[in-house]
Amino acid sequence: MNRVFSDKEFGKLIQRTLLAGVSLSLFFFFLGFVLRFSGFQSAGAALRAGVLTLALTPAARVAMLVYGYWRTKEYRFALASFTVLALLFISVLL
Amino acid sequence: MFDLNLLNSSLLVIFGFFIGILGSVMGVGGGIFIVPMLVLALGIPIHQAIAVSLAAIVASSSAVASVNVERGLANMRLGVALEVTTALGSIAGALLAGRLSSNIIQLLFALVLFPVSAGMFMKGRRALKHGHARPAPAAADAIPGVFDSEFFDHSIDSSTSYRVKNMTPASFISFFAGGLSGLLGLGGGIIQVPMMNLLCGVPIKAAAATSNFLIGVSAAASLFVYLKKGYLMPELAAVIIIGVLLGSFAGIYILYKARSEKIQIAFSALVFIVAVKMLLK
Repeated sequence: MNRVFSDKEFGKLIQRTLLAGVSLSLFFFFLGFVLRFSGFQSAGAALRAGVLTLALTPAARVAMLVYGYWRTKEYRFALASFTVLALLFISVLL
Repeated sequence: MFDLNLLNSSLLVIFGFFIGILGSVMGVGGGIFIVPMLVLALGIPIHQAIAVSLAAIVASSSAVASVNVERGLANMRLGVALEVTTALGSIAGALLAGRLSSNIIQLLFALVLFPVSAGMFMKGRRALKHGHARPAPAAADAIPGVFDSEFFDHSIDSSTSYRVKNMTPASFISFFAGGLSGLLGLGGGIIQVPMMNLLCGVPIKAAAATSNFLIGVSAAASLFVYLKKGYLMPELAAVIIIGVLLGSFAGIYILYKARSEKIQIAFSALVFIVAVKMLLK
Protein backbone atom coordinates (compact mmCIF):
# COMPACT_ATOMS: atom_id res chain seq x y z
CA MET A 1 0.00 0.00 0.00
CA ASN A 2 1.26 3.48 -0.87
CA ARG A 3 2.40 5.12 2.40
CA VAL A 4 1.62 8.73 1.39
CA PHE A 5 -1.88 7.79 0.24
CA SER A 6 -2.53 5.70 3.31
CA ASP A 7 -1.33 8.54 5.55
CA LYS A 8 -3.93 10.86 4.02
CA GLU A 9 -6.68 8.27 4.27
CA PHE A 10 -5.59 7.53 7.80
CA GLY A 11 -5.61 11.21 8.75
CA LYS A 12 -9.15 11.58 7.45
CA LEU A 13 -10.30 8.54 9.43
CA ILE A 14 -8.86 9.98 12.65
CA GLN A 15 -10.26 13.42 11.85
CA ARG A 16 -13.78 12.05 11.31
CA THR A 17 -13.63 10.01 14.51
CA LEU A 18 -12.58 13.02 16.60
CA LEU A 19 -15.05 15.39 14.95
CA ALA A 20 -17.88 12.88 15.40
CA GLY A 21 -17.10 12.60 19.12
CA VAL A 22 -16.80 16.36 19.62
CA SER A 23 -19.96 17.10 17.58
CA LEU A 24 -22.00 14.48 19.42
CA SER A 25 -20.91 15.76 22.82
CA LEU A 26 -21.70 19.35 21.75
CA PHE A 27 -25.16 18.17 20.64
CA PHE A 28 -25.76 16.66 24.10
CA PHE A 29 -24.52 19.84 25.81
CA PHE A 30 -26.83 22.11 23.81
CA LEU A 31 -29.71 19.66 24.31
CA GLY A 32 -28.98 19.68 28.03
CA PHE A 33 -29.12 23.48 28.23
CA VAL A 34 -32.32 23.65 26.14
CA LEU A 35 -33.92 21.08 28.47
CA ARG A 36 -32.61 22.93 31.53
CA PHE A 37 -34.04 26.29 30.50
CA SER A 38 -37.31 24.56 29.53
CA GLY A 39 -37.51 23.12 33.03
CA PHE A 40 -37.14 19.45 32.14
CA GLN A 41 -35.64 17.07 34.70
CA SER A 42 -33.69 15.14 32.04
CA ALA A 43 -31.27 18.05 31.44
CA GLY A 44 -28.68 16.52 33.78
CA ALA A 45 -28.78 13.21 31.92
CA ALA A 46 -28.13 14.94 28.58
CA LEU A 47 -25.17 16.88 30.03
CA ARG A 48 -23.73 13.70 31.57
CA ALA A 49 -24.13 11.95 28.21
CA GLY A 50 -22.17 14.81 26.63
CA VAL A 51 -19.33 14.45 29.13
CA LEU A 52 -19.23 10.67 28.69
CA THR A 53 -19.19 10.98 24.90
CA LEU A 54 -16.33 13.45 25.17
CA ALA A 55 -14.36 11.22 27.55
CA LEU A 56 -14.76 8.28 25.17
CA THR A 57 -13.66 10.25 22.10
CA PRO A 58 -9.88 9.76 22.64
CA ALA A 59 -10.50 6.04 23.22
CA ALA A 60 -12.41 5.84 19.91
CA ARG A 61 -9.54 7.66 18.21
CA VAL A 62 -7.02 5.16 19.63
CA ALA A 63 -9.24 2.26 18.44
CA MET A 64 -9.13 3.76 14.94
CA LEU A 65 -5.33 3.97 15.20
CA VAL A 66 -5.18 0.23 15.95
CA TYR A 67 -7.35 -0.41 12.89
CA GLY A 68 -5.41 2.01 10.66
CA TYR A 69 -1.93 0.80 11.57
CA TRP A 70 -3.07 -2.79 11.18
CA ARG A 71 -4.31 -2.01 7.67
CA THR A 72 -1.08 -0.24 6.72
CA LYS A 73 0.86 -3.21 8.17
CA GLU A 74 2.75 -1.01 10.63
CA TYR A 75 2.34 -3.62 13.33
CA ARG A 76 4.59 -2.03 15.94
CA PHE A 77 2.39 1.09 15.93
CA ALA A 78 -0.75 -1.06 15.93
CA LEU A 79 0.62 -2.79 19.03
CA ALA A 80 1.50 0.54 20.67
CA SER A 81 -2.03 1.84 19.96
CA PHE A 82 -3.55 -1.36 21.32
CA THR A 83 -1.48 -0.98 24.50
CA VAL A 84 -2.80 2.58 24.93
CA LEU A 85 -6.36 1.33 24.40
CA ALA A 86 -5.80 -1.36 27.03
CA LEU A 87 -4.44 1.25 29.47
CA LEU A 88 -7.51 3.42 28.92
CA PHE A 89 -9.71 0.41 29.64
CA ILE A 90 -7.76 -0.23 32.85
CA SER A 91 -8.27 3.40 33.90
CA VAL A 92 -12.04 2.87 33.55
CA LEU A 93 -11.84 -0.14 35.87
CA LEU A 94 -9.74 1.59 38.57
CA MET B 1 -21.74 27.32 45.80
CA PHE B 2 -21.23 29.07 42.48
CA ASP B 3 -24.49 30.06 40.69
CA LEU B 4 -24.46 29.22 36.99
CA ASN B 5 -26.77 32.01 35.74
CA LEU B 6 -26.77 33.49 32.24
CA LEU B 7 -24.14 36.16 33.01
CA ASN B 8 -21.76 33.73 34.72
CA SER B 9 -22.27 31.20 31.94
CA SER B 10 -21.41 33.81 29.30
CA LEU B 11 -18.27 34.83 31.19
CA LEU B 12 -17.21 31.20 31.49
CA VAL B 13 -17.76 30.65 27.75
CA ILE B 14 -15.49 33.65 27.06
CA PHE B 15 -12.90 32.30 29.51
CA GLY B 16 -13.10 28.90 27.82
CA PHE B 17 -12.67 30.59 24.44
CA PHE B 18 -9.30 32.04 25.45
CA ILE B 19 -8.22 28.74 26.98
CA GLY B 20 -9.12 27.06 23.69
CA ILE B 21 -6.94 29.50 21.72
CA LEU B 22 -4.06 28.91 24.13
CA GLY B 23 -4.46 25.16 23.77
CA SER B 24 -4.44 25.26 19.98
CA VAL B 25 -1.47 27.54 19.58
CA MET B 26 0.77 26.23 22.35
CA GLY B 27 -0.24 22.58 22.58
CA VAL B 28 -1.29 22.76 26.22
CA GLY B 29 -4.71 21.93 27.60
CA GLY B 30 -5.05 25.03 29.75
CA GLY B 31 -5.33 23.19 33.07
CA ILE B 32 -2.74 25.50 34.62
CA PHE B 33 -5.26 28.34 34.19
CA ILE B 34 -8.60 26.51 34.55
CA VAL B 35 -7.87 24.91 37.94
CA PRO B 36 -6.65 28.11 39.70
CA MET B 37 -9.47 30.18 38.15
CA LEU B 38 -12.19 27.77 39.30
CA VAL B 39 -10.69 27.37 42.77
CA LEU B 40 -9.63 30.96 43.49
CA ALA B 41 -12.27 32.98 41.62
CA LEU B 42 -15.33 30.73 41.83
CA GLY B 43 -14.66 28.82 45.04
CA ILE B 44 -15.01 25.40 43.38
CA PRO B 45 -13.40 22.56 45.41
CA ILE B 46 -10.04 21.46 43.97
CA HIS B 47 -11.12 17.94 42.95
CA GLN B 48 -14.14 19.26 41.04
CA ALA B 49 -11.96 21.91 39.41
CA ILE B 50 -9.44 19.28 38.29
CA ALA B 51 -12.25 17.15 36.81
CA VAL B 52 -13.60 20.11 34.81
CA SER B 53 -10.06 20.94 33.69
CA LEU B 54 -9.49 17.37 32.46
CA ALA B 55 -12.78 17.41 30.51
CA ALA B 56 -11.78 20.74 28.91
CA ILE B 57 -8.38 19.29 27.96
CA VAL B 58 -10.04 16.31 26.27
CA ALA B 59 -12.32 18.71 24.34
CA SER B 60 -9.49 20.99 23.25
CA SER B 61 -7.23 18.08 22.31
CA SER B 62 -9.90 16.31 20.27
CA ALA B 63 -10.98 19.44 18.39
CA VAL B 64 -7.48 20.63 17.54
CA ALA B 65 -6.09 17.19 16.72
CA SER B 66 -8.95 16.55 14.29
CA VAL B 67 -7.64 19.35 12.08
CA ASN B 68 -3.89 18.99 12.70
CA VAL B 69 -3.82 15.26 11.93
CA GLU B 70 -5.62 15.67 8.63
CA ARG B 71 -3.25 18.50 7.61
CA GLY B 72 -0.17 16.52 8.60
CA LEU B 73 0.99 18.93 11.32
CA ALA B 74 0.60 16.40 14.16
CA ASN B 75 3.09 13.52 14.00
CA MET B 76 0.83 10.53 14.72
CA ARG B 77 3.60 7.92 14.96
CA LEU B 78 5.49 10.02 17.47
CA GLY B 79 2.25 10.72 19.32
CA VAL B 80 1.28 7.06 19.57
CA ALA B 81 4.74 6.04 20.76
CA LEU B 82 4.70 8.67 23.52
CA GLU B 83 1.07 7.90 24.42
CA VAL B 84 2.08 4.51 25.82
CA THR B 85 4.23 5.93 28.60
CA THR B 86 2.03 9.03 28.95
CA ALA B 87 -1.06 6.86 29.61
CA LEU B 88 0.94 4.70 32.03
CA GLY B 89 2.13 7.81 33.86
CA SER B 90 -1.38 9.21 33.89
CA ILE B 91 -2.77 6.10 35.60
CA ALA B 92 0.15 6.02 38.03
CA GLY B 93 -0.45 9.70 38.80
CA ALA B 94 -4.14 9.10 39.46
CA LEU B 95 -3.28 6.21 41.79
CA LEU B 96 -0.62 8.20 43.62
CA ALA B 97 -2.81 11.32 43.97
CA GLY B 98 -3.36 12.01 47.63
CA ARG B 99 -0.58 9.67 48.79
CA LEU B 100 2.44 11.79 47.87
CA SER B 101 3.16 15.27 49.10
CA SER B 102 2.06 17.53 46.26
CA ASN B 103 4.37 20.27 47.60
CA ILE B 104 7.45 18.18 46.85
CA ILE B 105 6.20 17.25 43.38
CA GLN B 106 5.37 20.88 42.60
CA LEU B 107 8.78 22.02 43.81
CA LEU B 108 10.55 19.48 41.59
CA PHE B 109 8.28 20.40 38.71
CA ALA B 110 9.08 24.10 39.11
CA LEU B 111 12.83 23.37 39.20
CA VAL B 112 12.52 21.42 35.94
CA LEU B 113 10.47 24.15 34.25
CA PHE B 114 12.93 27.02 34.84
CA PRO B 115 15.73 25.70 32.59
CA VAL B 116 13.15 24.58 30.01
CA SER B 117 11.69 28.08 29.91
CA ALA B 118 15.13 29.68 29.59
CA GLY B 119 16.21 27.25 26.86
CA MET B 120 13.12 27.86 24.74
CA PHE B 121 13.34 31.63 25.17
CA MET B 122 17.00 31.71 24.09
CA LYS B 123 16.33 29.47 21.09
CA GLY B 124 13.33 31.51 19.94
CA ARG B 125 15.15 34.83 20.45
CA ARG B 126 18.22 33.65 18.52
CA ALA B 127 15.99 32.50 15.66
CA LEU B 128 14.16 35.85 15.56
CA LYS B 129 17.48 37.73 15.46
CA HIS B 130 19.04 35.60 12.73
CA GLY B 131 15.96 35.00 10.60
CA HIS B 132 13.77 31.94 10.35
CA ALA B 133 15.29 28.90 12.01
CA ARG B 134 14.77 25.80 9.94
CA PRO B 135 15.42 22.50 11.66
CA ALA B 136 18.37 20.62 10.19
CA PRO B 137 17.02 18.52 7.32
CA ALA B 138 17.92 14.87 7.12
CA ALA B 139 21.09 14.15 5.16
CA ALA B 140 20.43 12.64 1.75
CA ASP B 141 22.23 9.41 2.58
CA ALA B 142 20.80 9.12 6.10
CA ILE B 143 18.43 6.27 6.85
CA PRO B 144 15.03 7.81 7.61
CA GLY B 145 13.67 7.03 11.07
CA VAL B 146 10.12 5.80 11.59
CA PHE B 147 9.21 8.99 13.45
CA ASP B 148 10.68 11.44 10.90
CA SER B 149 8.08 13.63 9.25
CA GLU B 150 7.36 16.86 7.40
CA PHE B 151 4.62 19.46 7.25
CA PHE B 152 3.71 22.52 5.22
CA ASP B 153 4.36 25.72 7.16
CA HIS B 154 1.95 28.42 5.94
CA SER B 155 3.86 31.22 7.73
CA ILE B 156 6.92 30.66 5.51
CA ASP B 157 5.00 29.10 2.59
CA SER B 158 7.16 25.97 2.33
CA SER B 159 7.53 22.44 3.65
CA THR B 160 9.58 21.71 6.76
CA SER B 161 11.06 18.25 7.24
CA TYR B 162 12.60 17.06 10.47
CA ARG B 163 14.22 14.07 12.14
CA VAL B 164 13.12 12.80 15.52
CA LYS B 165 15.85 11.80 17.98
CA ASN B 166 16.25 10.80 21.64
CA MET B 167 13.05 8.76 21.81
CA THR B 168 14.16 6.70 24.83
CA PRO B 169 14.63 9.64 27.23
CA ALA B 170 11.55 11.28 25.70
CA SER B 171 9.46 8.24 26.64
CA PHE B 172 10.61 8.48 30.27
CA ILE B 173 9.82 12.20 30.39
CA SER B 174 6.39 11.48 28.89
CA PHE B 175 5.71 9.14 31.78
CA PHE B 176 6.38 12.06 34.13
CA ALA B 177 4.20 14.39 32.02
CA GLY B 178 1.38 11.84 32.11
CA GLY B 179 1.73 11.62 35.88
CA LEU B 180 0.97 15.35 36.14
CA SER B 181 -2.38 14.73 34.50
CA GLY B 182 -3.57 12.46 37.28
CA LEU B 183 -1.91 14.37 40.11
CA LEU B 184 -2.62 17.98 39.23
CA GLY B 185 -5.23 17.98 36.46
CA LEU B 186 -2.82 19.12 33.76
CA GLY B 187 -2.70 17.60 30.30
CA GLY B 188 1.08 17.47 30.35
CA GLY B 189 1.59 19.66 27.28
CA ILE B 190 3.65 22.06 29.37
CA ILE B 191 6.27 19.27 29.52
CA GLN B 192 5.57 17.52 26.20
CA VAL B 193 5.99 20.56 23.93
CA PRO B 194 9.43 21.71 25.16
CA MET B 195 10.57 18.10 25.40
CA MET B 196 9.67 17.34 21.78
CA ASN B 197 11.14 20.65 20.64
CA LEU B 198 14.40 20.71 22.61
CA LEU B 199 15.14 17.01 23.13
CA CYS B 200 13.62 15.34 20.05
CA GLY B 201 14.29 18.14 17.54
CA VAL B 202 10.64 18.51 16.48
CA PRO B 203 9.79 22.03 15.19
CA ILE B 204 7.66 23.96 17.68
CA LYS B 205 4.50 23.95 15.52
CA ALA B 206 4.63 20.19 14.99
CA ALA B 207 5.49 19.73 18.69
CA ALA B 208 2.43 21.77 19.75
CA ALA B 209 0.18 19.85 17.32
CA THR B 210 1.54 16.45 18.40
CA SER B 211 1.20 17.41 22.06
CA ASN B 212 -2.45 18.33 21.45
CA PHE B 213 -2.88 14.95 19.78
CA LEU B 214 -1.63 12.96 22.77
CA ILE B 215 -2.72 14.97 25.83
CA GLY B 216 -6.34 14.00 25.16
CA VAL B 217 -5.49 10.40 26.02
CA SER B 218 -3.70 11.21 29.28
CA ALA B 219 -6.51 13.58 30.31
CA ALA B 220 -9.17 10.99 29.41
CA ALA B 221 -7.40 8.28 31.45
CA SER B 222 -7.46 10.56 34.51
CA LEU B 223 -10.96 11.85 33.75
CA PHE B 224 -12.40 8.32 33.97
CA VAL B 225 -11.03 8.04 37.52
CA TYR B 226 -12.54 11.41 38.52
CA LEU B 227 -15.87 10.55 36.82
CA LYS B 228 -16.14 7.33 38.79
CA LYS B 229 -15.55 9.25 42.02
CA GLY B 230 -18.38 11.64 41.08
CA TYR B 231 -16.22 14.77 41.06
CA LEU B 232 -17.35 16.20 37.72
CA MET B 233 -19.96 19.00 37.65
CA PRO B 234 -21.57 18.43 34.21
CA GLU B 235 -23.18 21.89 33.87
CA LEU B 236 -20.01 23.79 34.71
CA ALA B 237 -17.94 21.50 32.48
CA ALA B 238 -20.38 21.90 29.57
CA VAL B 239 -20.28 25.72 29.68
CA ILE B 240 -16.48 25.85 29.74
CA ILE B 241 -16.15 23.14 27.08
CA ILE B 242 -18.40 25.06 24.65
CA GLY B 243 -16.06 28.07 24.97
CA VAL B 244 -12.96 25.88 24.73
CA LEU B 245 -14.17 24.25 21.52
CA LEU B 246 -14.93 27.60 19.88
CA GLY B 247 -11.53 28.95 20.95
CA SER B 248 -9.73 25.79 19.78
CA PHE B 249 -10.96 26.17 16.21
CA ALA B 250 -10.06 29.88 16.22
CA GLY B 251 -6.61 29.02 17.59
CA ILE B 252 -5.89 26.58 14.77
CA TYR B 253 -5.98 29.51 12.33
CA ILE B 254 -3.47 31.44 14.48
CA LEU B 255 -1.20 28.37 14.69
CA TYR B 256 -0.98 28.17 10.91
CA LYS B 257 -0.27 31.88 10.43
CA ALA B 258 2.02 32.68 13.38
CA ARG B 259 5.79 32.36 13.12
CA SER B 260 7.34 29.48 15.07
CA GLU B 261 9.86 31.69 16.88
CA LYS B 262 7.11 33.88 18.34
CA ILE B 263 5.22 30.81 19.57
CA GLN B 264 8.48 29.59 21.13
CA ILE B 265 9.02 32.85 23.04
CA ALA B 266 5.37 33.00 24.13
CA PHE B 267 5.59 29.41 25.34
CA SER B 268 8.80 30.10 27.28
CA ALA B 269 7.02 32.98 29.06
CA LEU B 270 4.10 30.68 29.87
CA VAL B 271 6.41 27.99 31.28
CA PHE B 272 8.24 30.62 33.35
CA ILE B 273 4.97 31.89 34.88
CA VAL B 274 3.91 28.34 35.77
CA ALA B 275 7.31 27.63 37.32
CA VAL B 276 7.14 30.79 39.48
CA LYS B 277 3.56 29.99 40.55
CA MET B 278 4.48 26.45 41.54
CA LEU B 279 7.59 27.54 43.40
CA LEU B 280 5.64 30.15 45.36
CA LYS B 281 2.97 27.61 46.23
